[in-house]
Amino acid sequence: MTAAAPPLVQGGTPESPRMRRGAPARIRALAANGPLFTVAVVVLVLLVLTAIFAPLLAPYDPEQINLKNSLAGSSPNHWLGTDQSGRDTFSRLLYGARTGLLGPLLVVGVSTLLGIVMGVVAAWRGGWVDSLLSRSMDMLFAFPAMLLAMLCVAVYGAGLTAPVIAMMVAYTPYVGRFVRSVARQEQSRPYIEAYKVQGWSAWSICTKHLIPNIVPTVFAQAAISFGYALIELAGLSYLGFGVQEPTADWGVMVNAGQSPLVKDVMLPAFAPATAIVIAVVAFGIVGEGLADRVAKRER
Amino acid sequence: MNRNLLRFLAGRVVGMVLVLFATSFVVFSAVHLAPGDPVTFLMRGRPITPESRAVLTAQYHLDQPFLKQYFLWLGDVLSGDFGRSVQFHQDISTMITDKLPTTLFLVVYAMVIIAVLGLALGILSALRPGLIDKIVLVWTGMAVAIPSYIAAIVLLSIFSVKLGWFPIYGAGEGFSDMLWHLTLPAFALALMFAGLLARVTRASMLDELSREHVEVARARGVPEGQVIRKHVLRNALGPIVTVVGTMVASMLVATSIVETAFSVQGVGSLLIKSVTAKDFPVVQAVTLLVVAVFMIANLIVDLLQPLIDPRVALGGDQK
Amino acid sequence: MADTTKSTTKKKNSVPATRAADSATPLLALDDVTLRLPDGAAARPILDGVSLRVERGETIGLVGESGSGKSVACRTVLGLLPKNARTTGEVRVEGTDVLTAGPAGLRDLRRNKVSMVFQDPRASVNPMRRVGDFLTEGLRLGGMSKKDALARAEELLTEVGIRDPKGALRRFPHEFSGGMLQRVVIAAALTSDPALLLADEPTTALDVTTQAEVVGILRRLQATHGTGMLFVTHDLELAAAICDRIYVMYAGRIVESRPAAELFARPRHPYTAALLASTPRLEEGAEPPTAISGRPVSLAEAPTGCAFADRCAFAVDRCRTEKPALVEDGTGAAACLRVEEGILA
Repeated sequence: MTAAAPPLVQGGTPESPRMRRGAPARIRALAANGPLFTVAVVVLVLLVLTAIFAPLLAPYDPEQINLKNSLAGSSPNHWLGTDQSGRDTFSRLLYGARTGLLGPLLVVGVSTLLGIVMGVVAAWRGGWVDSLLSRSMDMLFAFPAMLLAMLCVAVYGAGLTAPVIAMMVAYTPYVGRFVRSVARQEQSRPYIEAYKVQGWSAWSICTKHLIPNIVPTVFAQAAISFGYALIELAGLSYLGFGVQEPTADWGVMVNAGQSPLVKDVMLPAFAPATAIVIAVVAFGIVGEGLADRVAKRER
Repeated sequence: MNRNLLRFLAGRVVGMVLVLFATSFVVFSAVHLAPGDPVTFLMRGRPITPESRAVLTAQYHLDQPFLKQYFLWLGDVLSGDFGRSVQFHQDISTMITDKLPTTLFLVVYAMVIIAVLGLALGILSALRPGLIDKIVLVWTGMAVAIPSYIAAIVLLSIFSVKLGWFPIYGAGEGFSDMLWHLTLPAFALALMFAGLLARVTRASMLDELSREHVEVARARGVPEGQVIRKHVLRNALGPIVTVVGTMVASMLVATSIVETAFSVQGVGSLLIKSVTAKDFPVVQAVTLLVVAVFMIANLIVDLLQPLIDPRVALGGDQK
Repeated sequence: MADTTKSTTKKKNSVPATRAADSATPLLALDDVTLRLPDGAAARPILDGVSLRVERGETIGLVGESGSGKSVACRTVLGLLPKNARTTGEVRVEGTDVLTAGPAGLRDLRRNKVSMVFQDPRASVNPMRRVGDFLTEGLRLGGMSKKDALARAEELLTEVGIRDPKGALRRFPHEFSGGMLQRVVIAAALTSDPALLLADEPTTALDVTTQAEVVGILRRLQATHGTGMLFVTHDLELAAAICDRIYVMYAGRIVESRPAAELFARPRHPYTAALLASTPRLEEGAEPPTAISGRPVSLAEAPTGCAFADRCAFAVDRCRTEKPALVEDGTGAAACLRVEEGILA
């Protein structure tokens, strides 16, 4: 009421919703999201680099046991001290980024792909396909991802495989439901109707327009899910269902650090715990930042 | 009105029964999906005596055709007979009922913390934009990123090891002793969900605060406290109750982690131990229990929705 | 009748000296009200020197396009200001300044003296509470028992023409049509038997046939209760039909004020004339409507001179630099530098 409404049509040629920009412009646009977003992006990049180059960065073999040096404190030789078996906590932390990121990557990657297919089909076809999909989604809602993972571990045994597959299955309905609602919204836009009238096939409209237009939103959601997948997979490893000793993994490390904790030795448990929290917060900030950007562009 | 409500209810109950059927089928058929024959799978690594084979065959009706096995087993489960643990050779129903009070205590304790902390912070943050809102947002942002196992070790090291205020493990006996023993586990369990609830409460409150009817209430001279209670918070309840319903299942799973971390002998730690020991009948029983509790909790949420928002009942299925 | 009983009950919480049946004090007086919103470094002006009067029992129209500030002006009467708004000038209801009133004074004003009917009844009634709760909320605040409040609400629902008022009290807003719900809102506005009713585009969200009914109810109730009314609308024709006097607003300023018939017959400000010309007429031989060129501007983006200059067919160079004052003439006032020249004759 207070300000005059902006004119409906602005001068110049209408821009397509997706703008093509060069790399420097992209980086500047990222920075425009605020310092917190930038820091989070930097943290994630460092995490990925750590996971890739862990063998070059780690000062020690992460599985090298040295019982004489059990539970050493922080020192120039061992920045973060050692664990109960005398393994270097810092090296284990660096290596832990590998399983820490790989598991969630598989879970989120596959469930996002499947979820997009399910969601778009449900939104586009409606009718019985839609209700069938929402019924199966309802069922999977009753099975929290970790519970399904535990069931799978009970059947197929511990290790990263069973939990990762279970979580792919359990995450898909969440993505599907999300994609369905976003696709529904996108579908109601006039341009879709226009393509239909022009005789485009459903397949071309979906693959060339609908899906590319919803991908940024879905991608933002995937970044947030990545954090949750990380928490849950590390939790399964903490319980002894996922990655197994002696492999360095953050969840495994938190578990192993729990008994030194009672002796008031905090680093073996707190170092991986901090790593998990930082990674999850960074994914959350990036995801929400991306979601904000998409929302702003839509306006 | 009433017929609409009945149809709404009937639809929900039918949906719930279908989902329960489907999940129980998955849980049951896992025995057959596993590599090897069912008895070998169930006994994994334990010596198979003719006696144990007979017990398992009877328990899972393995001498019957597959579908009949399922329905016979389902009948047993529905009558409260979950069979016997292959590890402890105990009746599973008894094992669960023995441990249920501790878990129930812990979950209710955590629920109270979640409700009080989550609602209070959410409301505070919605009503005090600026510094307080920022602080709460940062706090909840951290809280939702801290999984229960990390909350557990942090609380343990600070309040048990360093300060010695609370015990390191166990559940205690009697109300006050349990309260003392389960305070840290309850907080570890509640932290993440309280953060989540605070965020949802805040968003829902802000959404309602921007509505015109709120300004109308103010324009009529309704005192601000009453505007917040009767118009903003009252109307914001829908999403809050919904999110509490969806939290139930993951909260039960988190309970098992927290019970394990604090060595509390409850249903949750029983699940973890059974998965570790490959005691599949117990895993099945607890899994079904979690699914059933989730279903019931969400049925209650669905029933509450029309009471909160009168438009829901009329619209029937709103999803 | 209603007015005299009311003034005795209200003396308790208002200031007796100014209140006491002082017929010289106007019911509502806005004097040189300016409202600014801090927007970054520079404050964004919304209202600039708005003055208007409503006497007891009178219907006053406030007309303007969206963004002209008419709704903001209307809301200042209840002290409903945008956050961080800075105001100067005075808004007096029965002599008491609203802008400087404390919380207790505002509460008394809102509960007992002034009621408002908003544009969209769907948005202005809490959808989750029963209509009865909505109607009695104000009365219960005044300390009335639940039973009495419900009886009074039922009475008012009958007055606004709702069938089965007893049943209506137990129903929810979504069970009413828009027109019926607006009647409920009007009934609710009258529960406190206010001296002044603010109606902010009360018919805009309704369909045409319902509009006429709602306006009819407003007029009738206003007459029987002796309530003064400030009727805010973008529809000059509607305002002319029901109001005694009309103020025309453009970009946060009053540009013309005049008795309705006079304004309709002989507008003096080019903006008023253009507004009238843009309204379609039904009479035979009427000229086809002509749209006003350009788009309405807000005060913030208006030129230094007359805010209408860029859209005005009669604008000269002087209009863009010199701010016209609201000058009294025989029947009202107009803020146009060329008003004396008889440009519209």
